[in-house]
Amino acid sequence: MPDKLKLALYWAATCGGCEVAVLDTNEKILDLAAAADIFLWPVAMDFKYQDAEDWPDAFIDVCLFNGAIRNSEGEHMAHLLRRKSKVLVAFGSCASFGGIPGLANVANAAQVFDRAYQATPSTDNASQVRPQTSVQVPEGELTLPSFYDTVRTLDQVEDVDYFMPGCPPVPERIWEVVGAILGGQLPPKGATIGVTHTTVCEECSRRKEEKMVNGFVRPHLVEPDPERCLLEQGLVCLGPATRGGCGARCLKAWMPCRGCYGPTDRVTDQGAKMLCAIASILNAEDEASAKKSVGDIADPLGTFYRFTLPASLLQRAAIPHFQH
Amino acid sequence: MKRITIDPITRLEGHGKIEIFLNDQGEVLNAYLQIPELRGFERFCEGRPVEELPRIVPRICGV
Repeated sequence: MPDKLKLALYWAATCGGCEVAVLDTNEKILDLAAAADIFLWPVAMDFKYQDAEDWPDAFIDVCLFNGAIRNSEGEHMAHLLRRKSKVLVAFGSCASFGGIPGLANVANAAQVFDRAYQATPSTDNASQVRPQTSVQVPEGELTLPSFYDTVRTLDQVEDVDYFMPGCPPVPERIWEVVGAILGGQLPPKGATIGVTHTTVCEECSRRKEEKMVNGFVRPHLVEPDPERCLLEQGLVCLGPATRGGCGARCLKAWMPCRGCYGPTDRVTDQGAKMLCAIASILNAEDEASAKKSVGDIADPLGTFYRFTLPASLLQRAAIPHFQH
Repeated sequence: MKRITIDPITRLEGHGKIEIFLNDQGEVLNAYLQIPELRGFERFCEGRPVEELPRIVPRICGV
């Protein structure tokens, strides 16, 4: 009998939702346990970093790596798990595109620290303490990872074999991918897996009427028609700029898409693609009226690049005296 | 003096490390819990529309 598949699951800058999505495969997790041995999974099992350091190179068959690269620990683990794994999968939107933690690329490290450790109303920090990479205590030295100015995607720091986006990837798709891994049926390297190759709109059952819009409204200010396309009702929905795979889950819950599955194969910059989609449905006589209509969009950066800022052409906000 | 490092703490949401210092008799002198992870929601939620926050802050913890 051949050896069982060796799996590792790791999280860098993440929320743990990807881990829970794996558990949301429910009783199928038992099939996974029958076919594979898990050697690293901090959320669920007790292994230490030293265990991973001690494995021979290429010991792990498949590593599902979720989370963005936010600090030196995440980067170290990316390099380590690349070396120790035959197949490295960027699992979830944070590893694939930066995800929600990637929104921090509107600021640099000092600005994040100043807000989190000083300026928030609930913080009392008169001595202005900040995290240090090294501090001397009476018993010796304590260290923390270095917090970077810029959030990066996994493939911006290491060679990635596959991308499986989603915030989180939906359990049905996870199981499809696990099946492909167990059956040795993975596609060519570099592919995005557990997705469709069209957009969320193709999975959305709302009725499209090819209507133009005069402007945009914020979603809490209107009660939309439950049957019709939200974008055609003036609600910004990233469906046309977003890869399918989720089954249009948010749309079924009356929420416009925010783009967590990232751009399709043909698109590099999801936000730019969404701007094209908006331009194509906007009723505008001239540049001034177009400017007024898109001016109603409350937060273009945080909406069009909600999950993909580090992977976009922008990558991050330019900040004067930005130190790398 | 002996030092025991537990890295990472497992079976919880988030990242943590514990350093325990023991004296020559093996008694705990001191212990430090460190949280090596920060994402900065405090900063990047600024400027986002209030109605979008219920779709952003669930990613503080997905467990």
